[in-house]
Amino acid sequence: MKLAIAVQRYGADINGGAELHARYIAERLARHAEVEVVTTCARDYVSWRNELPPGVETVNGVAVRRFPVRHERKPRDFGRRSERVFRHTHSLADEVAWLESEGPASPAMIDYLAGAAFDYTVIFSYRYYHAWHAARRLHQKAVLVPTAERDPAIGLEMFRPVFRSVRAVMYNSQEERAMIWSATGNQQVPGVVVGVGSDVPQRTDPAGFRRKFKITRPFAIYIGRIDENKGCGELFDYFQRYATIFPRGLDLVLVGSAVMPVPKHRRIHHLGFLGDQDKFDALAASDLLIMPSYYESLSMVALEAWALGRPVLANGRCDVLKGQCIRSNAGLYYERYEDFVETLYSLESNGPLHHRLGQNGREFFRRNYAWPVIERKYLEMFQRLDRETAPPPIAPLPGWLARRRASLPAAESVLAGIPSGAVIEGERHG
Amino acid sequence: MSDMNVRSDNVDVEQIMRQIRSRIREKRGVDYTEEEIRELANVKLEKFLDPRGVRSDLLDQFRRSRAAITEPQNFAFEDSTLYETHRGFIRWMRKVLNPILKLFFNPNPLIRALNIQAELNTKREQLDALHYEVMHNLVIELTRVGIEVKNLKMRVESMSSRLDFDERRARALEGVVMYRPGSAAPTGPPATVDNSRTVEGDQERRARRRRRRPRRPPGDHREVRQGSPSDSGTGGQDVPDRGDQTQVGPERAGAPPADPSTGS
Repeated sequence: MKLAIAVQRYGADINGGAELHARYIAERLARHAEVEVVTTCARDYVSWRNELPPGVETVNGVAVRRFPVRHERKPRDFGRRSERVFRHTHSLADEVAWLESEGPASPAMIDYLAGAAFDYTVIFSYRYYHAWHAARRLHQKAVLVPTAERDPAIGLEMFRPVFRSVRAVMYNSQEERAMIWSATGNQQVPGVVVGVGSDVPQRTDPAGFRRKFKITRPFAIYIGRIDENKGCGELFDYFQRYATIFPRGLDLVLVGSAVMPVPKHRRIHHLGFLGDQDKFDALAASDLLIMPSYYESLSMVALEAWALGRPVLANGRCDVLKGQCIRSNAGLYYERYEDFVETLYSLESNGPLHHRLGQNGREFFRRNYAWPVIERKYLEMFQRLDRETAPPPIAPLPGWLARRRASLPAAESVLAGIPSGAVIEGERHG
Repeated sequence: MSDMNVRSDNVDVEQIMRQIRSRIREKRGVDYTEEEIRELANVKLEKFLDPRGVRSDLLDQFRRSRAAITEPQNFAFEDSTLYETHRGFIRWMRKVLNPILKLFFNPNPLIRALNIQAELNTKREQLDALHYEVMHNLVIELTRVGIEVKNLKMRVESMSSRLDFDERRARALEGVVMYRPGSAAPTGPPATVDNSRTVEGDQERRARRRRRRPRRPPGDHREVRQGSPSDSGTGGQDVPDRGDQTQVGPERAGAPPADPSTGS
């Protein structure tokens, strides 16, 4: 079997959520099939500037073919177009122009995918240029990994036919699937909730981490980009209030690069970006992981915390995280300060509860996110597609005039109509 | 966490969250989420504050009216606007014919008035949005404050009734105070008391109490730690100092340092 993995950026040092997800899947599927990653020369997800050389290279044993991006993203233009399609009645042409502005626009990459003889093309991140164009051109071979979050893009009309016409959809969570079903009505398309595994080391060295970074007190950890959009502002606010009430409670350790100021507080320790081993040692040394993000399609770091038997304290306003906490019985969640302080206190002070949640997390990871489980789900899906007949061709775009008729509702209003909330049904542990 | 027990192997996160939230509610009295406060702000305010006629769904109304009324497009009105066209020839013709037009009437006051109106329209649009937003926020804050006042009233009522009860109890206790010979004079009129009988009865009671009380092993100064963070809202309770501990997490779990559920 010959597989292509199409993703917006790719590299051993590129750690965006979807990009890392794509790399893990490519490396794992390479054990069962001939895999080629098809991507752009961009490294920066804001500008899509061509920074890496075009052509073929090998990354961790997987062939990677890069194509240049036709133009960089212009933030003002993209902001203006986003405002138009998200907040106002607009036309399909507006949406297509929005996608072109968002990028990474690489027609050469799409042409290559269309011309090459792959059995299936696994396309990551539905909302980008490459995914929409590749899924339209190759829908009979396209297996989409949407990595969709609850943001207005899912309410754009242009994505509905794509979701309904690809061969299969590999969802990250039950919440993501429910949202996409509701937004696009693609229930008839073969789909499975897969997510992604993680290479969690067998042995960790928490004591070594404490020595290396001179952290002696018990602590909660946050791993990820320190960004207002990730809920870090709220986390800092809540934690500082908690620290005032509990002068001897947990410290907060932050791992990741900061794009917002980190408050200077004697109990907040920012360690910057860490390598994998240090990251896992930090997780093993922590009492719990805090995930303050409002929007996640799947939190890999939460899965890693569970793999290491650490409970998670998640932002309950993120449906996916809340759903995972409930289904796994391995984490608590908060929606406001009072919840935050009570749940954090419960996790730090109630030993049996902490222990039991940690155990449930380990079990949840082992059953759902261990690599053999993930690989099996992908391979079974490919086998199923081999057996089934391909769906009818995707409907062409409307004519020139119809495309310009401003009759589509604002994406934000479409999103507001999509039911939200954690999906409680399904396998539960504990 | 005094009421949260983790029994056997089963943990139900939803159940735990319900317990946590009910505890928060107990502590704070009536407890509303941000969404609930917004919902409350969207019903008539009379229910809370009787503001007579103030509507609390202002923002919704504003949005509805904005959607219903398609306002004419506003544009800058300059001296040349009346004569503008994308066809150069026609623009030139209008310029040429302008003096003839002015023979019939003077367009300048019209142009000036429209120019001022366009500017006013722009400002009004901005101010409208701002006013509605400000009023909406004020209504929400008013609702929040109303709820807070209601809670505080309830607490004051409850505290005053407890104070009354305590005062009555104190007065009743004062009435049965025993006076020893040689002690200070009573501050209030004592009830009639048979001294000898009271002393005997007191000794008997003390002996009975001694018999009932179980013996505590010497050196047992155990403190039972209970309560939860919000109990210590003013810094009263806290977790034990584990400043020097390096073994955390599950290592601690077997013998939790402070498990309020078990009181250990």
